[in-house]
Amino acid sequence: MRSVQEIIKERPWVGWIIFLATTVVVFLLGMLASSIIERRAEAVFAYTPEIKYPETEPRLDVWKDLFPREYDTYLKTADTGFRSRYNGSAQIDMLEESPRMVVLWAGYSFSKDYRQGRGHLHAVEDIRNTLRTGGVPSPQPNTCWTCKSPDVPRVMKETGAAGFYSGTWDTKGKEIINPIGCTDCHDAKTMNLRISRPALVEAFESRGIDISKATHQEMRSLVCAQCHVEYYFNKQKIEGVQYLTFPWQKGMSTEDMESYYDEMEFSDWTHALSRAPMLKAQHPDYEVFLTGVHASRGISCADCHMPFISEGGQKFTDHHLQSPLNNVANSCQVCHREETDRLIQDVYLRQDKIIENRDELEKLLVRCHVEAKTAWDLGATENQMKDILQCIRKAQWRWDFSAAGHGNSFHSPVETGRIITRGITYALEARVLLARVLASLGNNREVPYPDISTKAKAQAFIGLDMKKLNEEKNAFLKNVVPRWLREGQEREEGYLK
Amino acid sequence: MHILQKLIPPDRWKLPVIIAGAVFSGLSLYAFWISNAPSYLGDKPETCVNCHIMAPQYATWSHSSHREVTHCNDCHVPHNNVVSKYYFKAKDGLRHATIFTLRTEPQVIFIKDAGKEVVHKNCIRCHRDLITDSRLMGYNNITQENRESRECWDCHMETPHGSVNSLSSVPWARVPLPLSPVPDWLDKLVE
Repeated sequence: MRSVQEIIKERPWVGWIIFLATTVVVFLLGMLASSIIERRAEAVFAYTPEIKYPETEPRLDVWKDLFPREYDTYLKTADTGFRSRYNGSAQIDMLEESPRMVVLWAGYSFSKDYRQGRGHLHAVEDIRNTLRTGGVPSPQPNTCWTCKSPDVPRVMKETGAAGFYSGTWDTKGKEIINPIGCTDCHDAKTMNLRISRPALVEAFESRGIDISKATHQEMRSLVCAQCHVEYYFNKQKIEGVQYLTFPWQKGMSTEDMESYYDEMEFSDWTHALSRAPMLKAQHPDYEVFLTGVHASRGISCADCHMPFISEGGQKFTDHHLQSPLNNVANSCQVCHREETDRLIQDVYLRQDKIIENRDELEKLLVRCHVEAKTAWDLGATENQMKDILQCIRKAQWRWDFSAAGHGNSFHSPVETGRIITRGITYALEARVLLARVLASLGNNREVPYPDISTKAKAQAFIGLDMKKLNEEKNAFLKNVVPRWLREGQEREEGYLK
Repeated sequence: MHILQKLIPPDRWKLPVIIAGAVFSGLSLYAFWISNAPSYLGDKPETCVNCHIMAPQYATWSHSSHREVTHCNDCHVPHNNVVSKYYFKAKDGLRHATIFTLRTEPQVIFIKDAGKEVVHKNCIRCHRDLITDSRLMGYNNITQENRESRECWDCHMETPHGSVNSLSSVPWARVPLPLSPVPDWLDKLVE
């Protein structure tokens, strides 16, 4: 057989054929490569909406054309028609439900007004309406706005976090117009989930964790954990600023956070009756959820509170954030094959058992505060009261920790039960010590339990002037809020159409 | 070896042939790299959305109760032995790749008979107790036929992907689609 070289020498066209054949093969290979590239590029665009609005766009309705289903379902968070045994979307006056809370929070703004927040769409309206924020000037800092609106990251971009937090609550009222919306949780370029609030990022940093490494499934809880967590206002970090901080440096359990607070000798307020240095637990929903069985099985907040739903051949995330008890089919029953009623009973059973003991702790705490006041009135010394006040602080911290996170008793019944049990032992310890002090001061009889059968009676008992507070609030709603809305509207007229 | 020797070019052709050969192998490597080819040997569910038309399947699975216990391959390739696993994977995968590259995918993707057989066996692989527990069974003259003539999803239609699966059924679903293959430093350089 002759070599290729010889063949080509004799018949040059064979050389040309080899040349052309190679060209065709390389050409086709190139076409294959560019086809792969094109289809890959499609992937980038197919699931990424074309968005012209900036990440600071706070208005909800500009997004509705692009995301009609998400928008429509999100509007349903305005609904207040669902009431479960303990929670739901209806606005419950918690102080009316349990006037004991008024005594527990004597000297603190929660004793004035504690109505359960309604759905996300009411966030700005509800914070304006509550007596806790008062009128002008407000007793609260601007930090209170942090969770309420996509206007917050917009303003923070100009002022920085500390600049945003500084000043009293009424000074940024005209900036915060829109209730919680898209950009609070979504990146405006890609619509991926994003963390828009610095406090959560800083809390992760304090524990040495880089939050930007979180998986998508973790993000489906972390966007909620921007707000549904225990927090406090740190006044030591920057002069004159009440800096929003999550007390997670030592860990996320009740005891870890307590020792964090103890170490910095922090208290939210001094109790008006017992003079105990109190801690107010906010809503440690995320922290307690993490200790429950659903979290350990890999479930995220969104799996139950924002399940996938199907509508006309389209499947999407239900943005009607709500109690899964109002949507058992799409939440619980994805995994649990029991009847709806049965599943709801399972939830109520856990809540009933937890609340039974929480109520007992609540009554003990009322007695603690009243008895401590009696001891002070009879001339007790600081030294005599020191340990007692620490016990009251610890007991009420545990009560609040389990009560303030409305979902705790279901999210993690075992942990919540444990916390309440510890709270009861601290409260009883305080009362044993109090009995001795009272006896040494000549009082060896029961200190009577006050008549606090209604919210009004309880507020009168701790000496709140509700008439004045209500008048102040009404004047504020009538005179100041319309001005804020007008100024906000003028600002938004300049935004991208 | 005889044939190979014939292919060796004369000395003065060597350089152009080396260059032409390198162009060919470079292009092949490039195609290998941008198609994420090595990922197909593994079991990660992200691999299946290398082709973005699988986004509905990924999104529905990741919102189902099977998310925590199974990956795509647990159901969609055989697990009786490693040879049949990779044979089936190669056969199915090459067909998918071809159809995707030629853009001949249908608007609604249905599973083929060979795939059904595999999934059905995998249902049984994990849920054997459910269908062999004598306490859960009643016997009558059609028991045998009922057991052998039907597939699990004749009844369990929504498990796990749901019954509607068109390419456009999950608008804006967040699934881990492949990102741009261009490295960051090059992106910056070009900018």
